[in-house]
Amino acid sequence: MKFDKDVLTLDCKQQVARISSFIRRQTQALKREGAVVGLSGGIDSALIAALCVEALGKDRVLGLILPEKESSPESCKFAEKHALKLDINTETVEITSTLEAFGTYKKRDEAIKQILPEYNENYKTKIVLPSDLLSRDAFNFFKLIIEDEKGIRKSIRLKKETLNGIVAATNTKQRMRMLHLYFYAEKNNYLVCGTTNKSETMQGFFVKYGDGGVDIEPIAHLFKTQVYQLAEHMGVIREIIERKPSPDTYSLPVNDEEFFFRMPFATLDLLLYAWENKIKLADICGVMELTEEQVKRAFRDFTAKSHASRHARKMPPILKAEDGK
Amino acid sequence: MPKNTKKILKEFILDSFLPFAEENPFGDEDSFMEKGIINSTGVLELLQFIEETFEITVEDEEVIPDNLDSLNKLTSFIESKLA
Repeated sequence: MKFDKDVLTLDCKQQVARISSFIRRQTQALKREGAVVGLSGGIDSALIAALCVEALGKDRVLGLILPEKESSPESCKFAEKHALKLDINTETVEITSTLEAFGTYKKRDEAIKQILPEYNENYKTKIVLPSDLLSRDAFNFFKLIIEDEKGIRKSIRLKKETLNGIVAATNTKQRMRMLHLYFYAEKNNYLVCGTTNKSETMQGFFVKYGDGGVDIEPIAHLFKTQVYQLAEHMGVIREIIERKPSPDTYSLPVNDEEFFFRMPFATLDLLLYAWENKIKLADICGVMELTEEQVKRAFRDFTAKSHASRHARKMPPILKAEDGK
Repeated sequence: MPKNTKKILKEFILDSFLPFAEENPFGDEDSFMEKGIINSTGVLELLQFIEETFEITVEDEEVIPDNLDSLNKLTSFIESKLA
């Protein structure tokens, strides 16, 4: 199989036609009259909104903007600007109060206090994996980065219970957004259009029944670098294209690379392609100017993440009926 | 120093990560990552266990596959820390 640095270059016109047709056919098949898109202020949802407009027309696309007190103010601003450019209807629902009612922040803070008793709500936090996997080998273990009121940062290796507590609480943000998306979708007889790309899908970088809880996934066949190509082609606003991708669910800024992927998308996507298509090790090393050890390290990381998240890509397992029972 | 480091580690791994597994689900040289035995939460659990059980400190720089990614590697790593 062919492998070079341009292997992920898209024919954008052809892709837009193919994806638009998919969105139209699925909307028709589900007997829906339009699509709801959660506009996060990031590139994936911006592209999806543009593709839905291309597929269904601007009057059949609703953009939902769902900020909370810890999301970046820029997210809301950029989402609104892009929606204005597309001329689509939007609804903005501040979800902080519903998250507070559920106890999202309180539950998360209680988990952090297990390892940092002096923690209070004025502290800012994020969790990160060891950086730069290709330069330095390391297991995937999460550390908590904390910034106190004076701006002094501290890094602490997490314990299992604390990590699980933080993740479980934080994931309710995506799940709360899913609730809102389905409310507006059912109210309007629209479908919920997903925004997960292939780089995320393959490694499980989405929340089960959160941002993974959707009716269709029109860009799950595109790597993140291909999402950028298509976003340029579709005229997504510069502010969104130039912004570093982020989960935007922690009070300290954190980008996708430090939170999960451990390498830049340009490298990651080529390696994911090579891994998926079983490209020969020598060819990968030659094209990407990496050592065999670096490539093997990346592949081991992909295998581990793919394995750990495989349940999230599948429907719940069921038993097959036996003897008619 | 606990006796039979490898036995203690194997029991912990089986009990924590493979409580319902069939008999002998991994060999001493098998990679925990490649076999899907230990994920990112499991690493933290393993580190906590070995620090408490063997009364050692594992630095972040030591949390690498060469030290932790099989029963044999893990055993050697701990025994070298205890030596």
